[in-house]
Amino acid sequence: MTETNRGERFLTMTKSQLLELEREEKTSAQKRWDVAVSLLPVLCCAAALLEYGCVPNKYPNASPQRYAALLILAGGIWLLLWVWAIMRYRRGDKVRFRTLRHHAPFYAVLFLLLAAFDYLTLKTGRLLYPFIPWLNDIINAAAADWKSLLVSTLFSLRLLFLGYFSGAASGLVTGIACGYSSRVRYWVHPLIKVLGPIPPVTWVPLVMLLAASLFGGSVFIIALGTWFSVSVAAMTGIASVDRAYYDAARTLGASERQIVLHVAIPHAVPNILQGMTQGMSSACISLMIAEMLGVEAGLGWYITWAKSWAMYNRMFAAIIVICMVFNAVTKGLDLIKKRVLRYQSEVVQ
Amino acid sequence: MPKTLVLKLEGVFKSFARVETDDVTNAVADVNLSMRNGEFISLVGTSGCGKSTILRMIAGLISPTAGRLTINGVPIEGPGPERGFVFQKPALFPWLTVEKNISFGLRMSGHTAENGERLARIIHLVGLEDFKNDYPGQLSGGMAQRAALARSLINQPDILLLDEPLGALDAFTRMNIQDELLSIWQKKKQLMIMVTHDVDEAVYMGTRVLVMEAHPGRIRTELPIEMEYPRNRSSALFVEYRNRILEMLHYGTKER
Ligand SMILES: Nc1ncnc2c1ncn2[C@@H]1O[C@H](COP(=O)(O)OP(=O)(O)O)[C@@H](O)[C@H]1O
Ligand SMILES: [Mg+2]
Repeated sequence: MTETNRGERFLTMTKSQLLELEREEKTSAQKRWDVAVSLLPVLCCAAALLEYGCVPNKYPNASPQRYAALLILAGGIWLLLWVWAIMRYRRGDKVRFRTLRHHAPFYAVLFLLLAAFDYLTLKTGRLLYPFIPWLNDIINAAAADWKSLLVSTLFSLRLLFLGYFSGAASGLVTGIACGYSSRVRYWVHPLIKVLGPIPPVTWVPLVMLLAASLFGGSVFIIALGTWFSVSVAAMTGIASVDRAYYDAARTLGASERQIVLHVAIPHAVPNILQGMTQGMSSACISLMIAEMLGVEAGLGWYITWAKSWAMYNRMFAAIIVICMVFNAVTKGLDLIKKRVLRYQSEVVQ
Repeated sequence: MPKTLVLKLEGVFKSFARVETDDVTNAVADVNLSMRNGEFISLVGTSGCGKSTILRMIAGLISPTAGRLTINGVPIEGPGPERGFVFQKPALFPWLTVEKNISFGLRMSGHTAENGERLARIIHLVGLEDFKNDYPGQLSGGMAQRAALARSLINQPDILLLDEPLGALDAFTRMNIQDELLSIWQKKKQLMIMVTHDVDEAVYMGTRVLVMEAHPGRIRTELPIEMEYPRNRSSALFVEYRNRILEMLHYGTKER
């Protein structure tokens, strides 16, 4: 192969090949170290299993195999991912392995923390038993009461999404109208300014008194916070459109309506998504408070109910479910954001 | 082009209110012009003498304080796709790909039948085939300005207004795009009106050069350039034209 031919190959590289080329080559000692670190979570998982199985319990532990199975499942998933990543690595795709290697220390420590938690609760009871139960106990509680947990989760989700989407939709309408029309802004902006800083939950007692149904009242409270975040964000986004974009659109033959639709709103999308993320966290807070104070269903209600019967393991089960649900929702929003804002990430640095 | 088009400015004034003080800026004062299709007008003048203001009035983005702007006798009211505008900053929409930016005007006017073909032709014309799926943030200055040019050409405007479109580009890219612009104009014979601060560019491209003076902004001289295209930048005639314009501009600033 001639010199020029060897150079030509750089012209047909893919993006990942380019990134790979720009990295420094690792020594074999470094590589071995990376393999060892990437297997650390499996090792720590085994340690957690040993701790769980071998140290004698202080309290009776029903169905002990459940937590063990969960640990084995988690460790097994890691191992499978590891094998897959190594296979990809052999075929030249180093990205998967690098990601795995990046997360390995974190998960290793997580398994160790699980073991420590088990030791402090089930094995020794040093951690405020019975208020803080061990994990197998929580799993047992969730398994025993899975039906009402599921019903509560679905109820909470319904309330959350009804409130969130009606709030976001009305926020979009007010925000866009305020951002684009100064007449609308004249009348609506003071309202936003006065109502905005009041935390939505302030209205809970009033809504409990006045609302025809508690459910409807809760939807309203959840919607209120989302409405505020989204409308302010949309307004800011539209007000900050560079005049040059409007001029360009107008000379290209866009009507006023098309300018709103094709220039003002797309320009405000990053702000709107930001407002929707913010609105989601406020919606989650309102949801929990509404359920804990008045609505007799949902995960928030489940927590207070379990606590009042001193069933702390069920309470924790519900908290873990909440954690998972809210994380999934936030992650979903994040994915949408990444997809929609693709154009921003592809800017040359 | 069989259809003739005459753009007339009659006694056009434009003043702006100042922010700080109580008086006004007389950006354009008593401008009288007649331009027709097939002409390439170069508009030169010191910065702040009202060149952009004239273009913006022709585009319909702003209206004159006094006077009339007409196309074939019909007064200009607001912007329209038959008058394209290329700004100094490309102002491409960052959320659209290059291709979607260029086809923006077509989508606004609801054309569909010939969309694909015309779009491909224009993208080819400005040489952006390889970049049509990129976002504007990924383009170099020259490519971005080519995309902006294509975006206004897609509407097949009768009048193309160019406000220092090449001002921010390096000399080499600038010369390339100058020739591309000339060949577009020679094919379609639109009326092109280009603001520039580069006297060389004004003489190289224009059939007529308008020299403006500032405060108040007036047309000082109209100078027809009687040279065949493509013009030779080092010919004696070219240099003479350039020097005459430079002299006028210099004199214009000294007078203030
Ligand atoms: N929108 C505006 N508001 C107030 N003054 C303006 C505005 N646009 C332009 N001007 C003033 O009008 C004068 C001419 O501006 P412009 O036409 O942009 O000049 P040029 O393009 O020749 O540099 C300048 O003094 C400028 O400050
Ligand atoms: Mg200007």
